[in-house]
Amino acid sequence: MLLGKLRIIGHSMEPALKNNNIVLVSNLFYIFKEPKVNDIVAFKFNNKKMVKRISQIKDNQYFVIGDNINDSLDSRKIGFIDRKNILGKVFKII
Amino acid sequence: MNIIKFVTKFIKEDIAFAHCDIPCGIYDPHQAQLAAHTVVRMTKMLQDIKQDDNLTSDHTIARITHVKEKHSDLLEEELETLRNDYFKDEHFNEFKNLNELFVKTLRASAKARQNIDMDSALMALYGVLEIAEIFYKTKKVTPVRIKSVYPTEGEVVIYK
Repeated sequence: MLLGKLRIIGHSMEPALKNNNIVLVSNLFYIFKEPKVNDIVAFKFNNKKMVKRISQIKDNQYFVIGDNINDSLDSRKIGFIDRKNILGKVFKII
Repeated sequence: MNIIKFVTKFIKEDIAFAHCDIPCGIYDPHQAQLAAHTVVRMTKMLQDIKQDDNLTSDHTIARITHVKEKHSDLLEEELETLRNDYFKDEHFNEFKNLNELFVKTLRASAKARQNIDMDSALMALYGVLEIAEIFYKTKKVTPVRIKSVYPTEGEVVIYK
């Protein structure tokens, strides 16, 4: 995703991202560098786009977690995310 | 308008989920229907109240308005849960008017909350009834409308 505009649905990334926030996403950040721990990324899962924060990286697999950790559907349930499914870095709330 | 907003105005918006639900699968439009009926009832009570310029009527208006506000909140929260967590793409594809119905109903609820506006309160209620019918259809049961036993005398949707 060169440059995408995504509306956030859900509360699992609060307080960083709130329900109905609109964010900009781009994979340009990952042309010369790989995603790193603490990046908030958009990724594909089950034909849907989701947004979470990277908490661990292992063999090109990314463990992503919601900031609202007590109430988030994330890698603890859906497992690691492949690098190829990461669409880009969330870099701006507009 | 700042430069970023101007430039990104031309980018098509998409949706990203930040699910916060434990996917328990327990969804029901019943609570939304109760909330919508309550908003209609509170609106009627506000319309009927006698403004005799004393502290008692002020207090009563405050209490009724508080309940109307609370139930509009509940209605909107229940609708958002159904829209964001229960209904999936295939439902929106099958029932083409579903998204529009949510938008219309949420707007009517907001108007009913902001004003003493029976038309909007009723529009929110009718929208919820239609959403409830679609909900039950997706559950492969037959929805039926029955007359409620509430003072609003409106209908509720249940299933056979």
